[in-house]
Amino acid sequence: MKRTPSKTVLVIGGGIAGMEAAARLRQLGLQPILVEKSDHLGGHVADWHKLFPDMSEAAALVEKGAAALDGVDVRLSTEILFVNRLRSLYNVMLSSGSNVQCGAIVVATGFSLFPAEKKEEYGYGIYDHVITNADLEKWFNTGEDPRVTDDVRKVGFVHCVGSRDLKAGNTECSKVCCITAIKQAIEMKEHFPEAEIYCFYMDLRLFGKRYEDYYIKAQRDYGIHFIRGRVSEVGENIEGKVVVKAEDTLSGRPVKVTLDLLVLMAGIIRNPDPLPYDRRGRIPPKQRQSRGHHRI
Amino acid sequence: MGKLYDELSKDYRFKEGMHTCINCGTCTAICPAAEFYKYDPRKIVDTVQRKDDREIGALLKSETIWYCGECMSCVTRCPRKNGAGLVVMALRNLSVKLGYFTCSEKGRQLYPLTKALNGNILNLGYCVHPQTFAYEDHPESGPVFEWVLEHKEEVYARLGANFGKEGPGALRKIPQEDLDELKAIYDETGGTERLELVEKHSLAKAEEMGMTPEEYLKYTFNHCSPGHFNSEQ
Amino acid sequence: MIYKGKQKIWSDYQKEIPSDHWFYVRSCIRQSFFPASEVHFVKIMREVLGKDLYETPHHTTCGGIAYHSDTIPQETAMTIVARQFALMKEAGYKNLVTSCITSFGNYVEIIETWREFPELETRIREHLWKACKREFDVPEYVAHASDLVYKFRNEIAEKAQYRLVDKDTGEPLHIVEHIGCHYSKMFPHKGVGGAEYPCVLSGMAEAWGGNVIDYPERRHCCGFGFRQYLVKANRGYSVSNTHKKFESMEPYHPDAIITNCPGCPYFLDRWQYVISEMNGKTYGQDGHGIPVLTYEELAGLVLGYDPWDLGLQIHQVGLEPLLDKMGIPYDPKKKYLGLNEKDIMKPGLPRHLKCC
Repeated sequence: MKRTPSKTVLVIGGGIAGMEAAARLRQLGLQPILVEKSDHLGGHVADWHKLFPDMSEAAALVEKGAAALDGVDVRLSTEILFVNRLRSLYNVMLSSGSNVQCGAIVVATGFSLFPAEKKEEYGYGIYDHVITNADLEKWFNTGEDPRVTDDVRKVGFVHCVGSRDLKAGNTECSKVCCITAIKQAIEMKEHFPEAEIYCFYMDLRLFGKRYEDYYIKAQRDYGIHFIRGRVSEVGENIEGKVVVKAEDTLSGRPVKVTLDLLVLMAGIIRNPDPLPYDRRGRIPPKQRQSRGHHRI
Repeated sequence: MGKLYDELSKDYRFKEGMHTCINCGTCTAICPAAEFYKYDPRKIVDTVQRKDDREIGALLKSETIWYCGECMSCVTRCPRKNGAGLVVMALRNLSVKLGYFTCSEKGRQLYPLTKALNGNILNLGYCVHPQTFAYEDHPESGPVFEWVLEHKEEVYARLGANFGKEGPGALRKIPQEDLDELKAIYDETGGTERLELVEKHSLAKAEEMGMTPEEYLKYTFNHCSPGHFNSEQ
Repeated sequence: MIYKGKQKIWSDYQKEIPSDHWFYVRSCIRQSFFPASEVHFVKIMREVLGKDLYETPHHTTCGGIAYHSDTIPQETAMTIVARQFALMKEAGYKNLVTSCITSFGNYVEIIETWREFPELETRIREHLWKACKREFDVPEYVAHASDLVYKFRNEIAEKAQYRLVDKDTGEPLHIVEHIGCHYSKMFPHKGVGGAEYPCVLSGMAEAWGGNVIDYPERRHCCGFGFRQYLVKANRGYSVSNTHKKFESMEPYHPDAIITNCPGCPYFLDRWQYVISEMNGKTYGQDGHGIPVLTYEELAGLVLGYDPWDLGLQIHQVGLEPLLDKMGIPYDPKKKYLGLNEKDIMKPGLPRHLKCC
């Protein structure tokens, strides 16, 4: 296929959003190039097990997205080295050594999960049975994690770990952790039907289509307990169980719960934008080589 | 509306400790007072942030604000950088200024506290000192400390202290010129005025309760009415 | 428990503690209840480690307990502290070391408040000048005395006569560490190891051979609560909090508790006695309590000082079980003797708690 620079669109990030964007651009007759820094497509979803609010398979979504990339120039294990502006095009240097000229750039660089060990009081990486939402998805997929034992009877989910937290340096709401916690709580209940499951939340921010139904289902059909209070501290008792302290703010009493497993809903931190904007919010033009002013 | 809030806002502890509260309960969860007393630091901060003079006024006259132990464990955890303990300090300060502290049993304890601690500071240069630590007020200090107090000079000398003597060392006598400076600091910074204010309101309350100042001092130090604890109805 | 995770956090909270030339300010509570701890801090710093530690007889209480009992205005407390700073300046020192945690928290908080509100510092300067005709500099460094012992823990370990090891089994002793709340809960970066997993005491215990226990109520306050102890009517608060900690640490069978706050060792010691009087319960072996020590007492034992010179006889919970485990010799007959071995009688005995 002959590439026309003005019709070329560079999509940065091979997660679900980037894949979807590239596929749609192709349908519109443009020539997308999808650049992904890791060696596979799918982003965080590739490591996930099932998706809210319908428990569809994460792998199926990634597969479906990949299948729609027919005609898209996909470049894995590739990063952006620099970008500058030409008269009506962008000039992009890739880590593979190739140079791309394109008419537009789509930034779909996604997010990173908040490093849960930074909320020191929750003891991630210190106490034996404290894991994150991402660890739990991995366990759903592989069944392998020494922190999740076979006889789990009590599980806690801590919402807003590193979200809406001035002290942790991230004041934003991560938007999807509440619904993810509900999904994971339901999945845990399916794995361990005998288990009591507690969600410790500040506010339940369930804005999407069918999310509220999912919440009702978690309460009604799965008996998941929702405690309105942010977890204040986590410890470990002599049996290695997790001891969690929070306030049940609706009854106004401190509560202490001993659990077999604590899942921290690590929040979402936006990844830094890879594009070099100037003060006016534009990508600066390519510097002309100055002549006669070399400093030696 | 908001006059009391404005008054609180002048307190530097309030400036440090009162921002915006989301009622998450992180403070209450680990509060040593919340577990035993009918006390919820979250509710205090939430009440204050509503800026309602009537509610804040009620708080200033309540038992509630006197339950905190000022351990400041709450400060470590708040996701919005509030300090419930600091807000309580500002509330107590205002409660004293307005003379509201005598409205509550726990507030009235300010009388024995103020007398004992500042008596020690101004007379001895210490907050706490064996000279004024009476075993009958402190049976929990145990038979061993009863023995220490009976043989103060001997025991402290045996342990290498410089008890009541000039020069450096543990329990040294603090020179009069330094005590004079402490008194001057109290006079200059409102400390003396504070002691007089507590005295004035306390003595008025004693009279109202039909007690002599001595009886009131003893009563407020010793008496605990039912109803303060979570375990009670 | 994953030890490496804690080490990672400790590395984020290491303080650069100056190594010498300190202006020392004492603690009201510790002078009254643990005078020999301060005596030995000075001795260890000067004689064992060869450090310059200066004390002026003119320094006073910092007023911290009166302040946290809400009996003096903030500006009074700040000006008392400013006077201590002035004494330090006059003596030519820049590094302040406090014996007391309430003082440490007080000094650190005042300096931070002044940094945020410089107009307040200006006002305090005026107050101090008017009241005392003195001027002060803000210290370049404020340390708690336990920071210094932590800093030199390995030097102390090199000179150790005894270790926190059971002499019969060779196993490390189980040590509970208890940190004063005002050490790092207000300003995590001011404490060695931060607020959640401070290592100022656990670092000492480990350097001297012990094994540190992390139990669920480790971070909980001892229950001093200022007015909650000082007023007799409130002491239920205080003993309830200590009780909660003991119930939580009991299953780990601690051999000793090490503390760095003035009030904590007193409360953890005396409330064990009170609990035993109230319901007959004791937390140590065979009717004994769990020995509670200051960090100087522990350092002193490790360095081979005589237990009675260290003042262990004025604890209510007997320290003998710990001395026996560590293999430290002591003369029971000399326990309660006064100066020059004068007989000054003996304390009475508790009903339940075995004391020797």
